Amino acid sequence: MTIFLKKFGTTLTSRQFGKESFAAFEPSLREIKDAEKVEVDFEGVITFTPSWGDEFLSPLLERFDDRLILKNTSNLSVKATLKILEEVYQRKFKVE
Amino acid sequence: MDSKLLTIGQASKMVGVSIQTLRRWDDVGRLPSVRKPKGGHRHYRKEDVENYIKSNVKDLFRLAKSWITSDSGIEPRHDFYCSNSSVFQARLSKLENDLGRVKEISGIFPLIVAIAGEIGNNSFDHNLGNWPDIPGIFFAYDLKKKEVILADRGQGVLKTLKRIKPELANHQDALMVAFTEIISGRAPESRGNGLKFVREVVVNNEIRLFFQTGDARLKIQKDDSNLDIKKTLTNFRGCLARIKF
Repeated sequence: MTIFLKKFGTTLTSRQFGKESFAAFEPSLREIKDAEKVEVDFEGVITFTPSWGDEFLSPLLERFDDRLILKNTSNLSVKATLKILEEVYQRKFKVE
Repeated sequence: MDSKLLTIGQASKMVGVSIQTLRRWDDVGRLPSVRKPKGGHRHYRKEDVENYIKSNVKDLFRLAKSWITSDSGIEPRHDFYCSNSSVFQARLSKLENDLGRVKEISGIFPLIVAIAGEIGNNSFDHNLGNWPDIPGIFFAYDLKKKEVILADRGQGVLKTLKRIKPELANHQDALMVAFTEIISGRAPESRGNGLKFVREVVVNNEIRLFFQTGDARLKIQKDDSNLDIKKTLTNFRGCLARIKF
C-alpha cells in the first residue's frame, strides 16, 4: 500500500492535525496484508513538521516496523523533520 | 456628519478590535475619541485612527512585545490574532503561499513555515485549557523586513517543562532544556521536541531566531554551536519569538 501524504494536505503541521489525519486513515490500514510493504510518499508536500510527523509516522512505525518505507523525501522540511524524529525514536527510517 | 469623523463601528473595523476594546482604549487614552456635542456618542478622527494603525504596525516585534507585557490582557488586532489552532493553520498556509513567491528563499521557505508552525503550535499544545488570560497567539509577518513574529500570553516554557522536570530552577535553564534536550520515546509525554527542531533548522540555514520566555532570552543563527542565553530586564509570562530570514 502507498499512502500519499499530499492527500492530507500540503502544509502538514500540528499534533492535532497529525492525530486527526492518522485517525481518519486508520481504517484503511486494516486492508494491509501481513507481509505487505507500507510506503509513505511525500511527493507534493510543501511544509512538514515533527509534530504532525510524530503523530502520523510513529504509530505506522510501531505497527509495520521494517515494512515501512518512505519515498520522495527531498523537501528540506521533510528531511529536517525525519532527522529529528530518528533522534527521538533512536532508529532510522527506511527511505527509498 | 463630518466626513472625516468615523463612528465607533467604522473605527473598530479599521483597527481590527471590538467596539468594547475601543471604548476601553478611549478610557485609558490609548486611542482617544472625540464626542459630538449632540448625543455625545464616541466618534474618531480618521486621521487619528490611521496614525494609530501606522505607528503600531510599523514594528511588529514591538507591537507583539507590548501586547505580551501589558498587565491586563486584551485581544490583539484581529488580523494578527489566532484565537485557536485552526485559525493559526489557515494563516500559516497563507504564510507558506506568500513566502513561496519570494525568490531569494525559494529553497528554504518550507523550513521557515515549519519552524513558525512548531513555535505557534507549541503555544497551543502546552496551553490548551490553561490559558491564564487571552487564549491563542499573536502571529504576524513582514515580507519586506523578512521577519515572522509569534507571541503568546500562556504559561511559558519554565512552567510547562517543570511538569516533567521539577528540578528546573529558572527561565534560562528551561530555555536551555527546551532547545537542546531530546525527549526520547513517548513517555512521559509525547510533546517536547519542536524547539530542538527549530534550533537544528536555524543553525543549518540563513535564519536567525530570537526567543524570550520569562526573564530569559535566546538568540541563534547559522553555524552557532552554543546557545546564547541571557537574563533580561523585562519579564513576562508566555513566549515571544522573532524569526528573521
